[in-house]
Amino acid sequence: MKDFMLIFKGKSYEALGLTPEQIEQRMGKWFAWHQKMETDGVRIKSGDALHDHTRTMAGTDRTRTDVTSPETKELIGGYYILTLNDMEEASKIAENFPDYDLGSVVEIREIMVYDV
Amino acid sequence: MSETKPPLVEHLFRHQYGKMVAALTRIFGPSNLETIEDAVQDTFMKAMVAWREGIPENPEGWLMTAAKNRAIDLFRKLTADEKRVLKMDSGTSAIALGEVFLESEIEDAQLRMIFMACHPSLNPRDQIAFALKTISGFSSKEIASALLLKEETVKKRLVRARKSIAALDLEFKIPQGTDLPPRLNRVLEVLYLIFNEGFHSGKKEILVRKELCGEAMRFCQMLLKNPFTKTSEAHALFGLMCFHSARLEGKISADNEIIDLKNQDRSKWFGPLVILGNEAMNKAVEKGKYSTYHFEAAIAAEHLKAKTFEETDWNQIHNYYHQLHELQPTVFNLLNIAFVKMQLGKLSEAFEILMTFHPKDLEQRAYLYYGTIAEYHILKNEKSKAINSLDEALKLVKNEAEKTYLKRKKEKINESM
Repeated sequence: MKDFMLIFKGKSYEALGLTPEQIEQRMGKWFAWHQKMETDGVRIKSGDALHDHTRTMAGTDRTRTDVTSPETKELIGGYYILTLNDMEEASKIAENFPDYDLGSVVEIREIMVYDV
Repeated sequence: MSETKPPLVEHLFRHQYGKMVAALTRIFGPSNLETIEDAVQDTFMKAMVAWREGIPENPEGWLMTAAKNRAIDLFRKLTADEKRVLKMDSGTSAIALGEVFLESEIEDAQLRMIFMACHPSLNPRDQIAFALKTISGFSSKEIASALLLKEETVKKRLVRARKSIAALDLEFKIPQGTDLPPRLNRVLEVLYLIFNEGFHSGKKEILVRKELCGEAMRFCQMLLKNPFTKTSEAHALFGLMCFHSARLEGKISADNEIIDLKNQDRSKWFGPLVILGNEAMNKAVEKGKYSTYHFEAAIAAEHLKAKTFEETDWNQIHNYYHQLHELQPTVFNLLNIAFVKMQLGKLSEAFEILMTFHPKDLEQRAYLYYGTIAEYHILKNEKSKAINSLDEALKLVKNEAEKTYLKRKKEKINESM
């Protein structure tokens, strides 16, 4: 078994101008997705949602840039770390991600383990 | 509608009520309690309708999902506490919201609720009603019945508690550091009161008593699960509750009458609770510091150890009562010491102690004083004096079950004359 990180990227609901009712419906889908993972016995190691506020540090002078605007297309909204057999299994789970129709994407990365 | 509710559903609702309220309070803050409680109530109404065709496979999960959806709904109406900055503007906040509804997080939230219910700035009379409502999910009617109050009084107390919480802007937190010990002491006191309401309740119905005792024990178990609140005192209080509960069934006869310790069928005492109590006490004594709960539990344990009333080790009990009295002098302890001395045949010593205080000192339990005096006269074979004292006791006793008990006692003396 290996750990995989599913990273969720996309615009925030606010930026997309979703109504409260639409947001509610979306959240319902997220809960359903989570519920399905639990019923299927997927080991959810962790998962967190991230705040929009992003500080970027760059350059040799370590310039700080704060972006709070939810307009950013590629905003990382959150992640799950799941214990699974392989990339294929991770992809199967990611198929149920609820926000593809909003242009959001899932990035799947295997977490590296150093065996000494 | 409530008449047709199957008991299983009722039990589930009550149990889930406290969990849902606690989880939602964590998100929206205690100042929104009223809206939260209404919302949870509403969810149950919806479930009642939805479940008419049949109860879902996982009713608990159904309700929790409903609670989450209810939370999203509430976000529209309420602004979450500023300290909790969960914003519902991306799908991933569902992950964060989901966390709040995890079993372990709900336990934590319920513990916070206990501390809030027992906050020193709340009116002590409101604390019990509020705890039974928000943590146990009792209805106002049930609380009224359990505490022998009018339903209106209970409702007033609940409103007052909620108002105080909002006005004082109480934090929904488990106190830390030096704040914790005094707050925990108050929590233990309130749990002890809830338990006693059940154990000594004037209510004849065994069910109500069991429920109150059971809730107090459940709260206590929550404290024992948390590394900061599982103190020696908390363990001792739990042990005490176990020992007393073990005798609960034997205390009431089939006709709902009180049976005194002497005449209880000791085979009816519930063994598993004694074992649980012993385990708690083993942990309670690890640090070697004893509280009043320790001594009260030790006394209760002595009674349980004795196979018959006659085999009771009254010397040991006498010793424990003295230590208890040293730690916290009360007239109740004096009354008990007098009673124990009578069992040891030290009648004049017992009488001397009884003369050191006044029945009025026992307030609404003054009848116990006369009951003990009557016992003294019975032992001295002074029947008419015993009857006089029982008459005094009967004038003061309000609890029906205890009234019957005293009457029976009087009849017996009359018969033997």
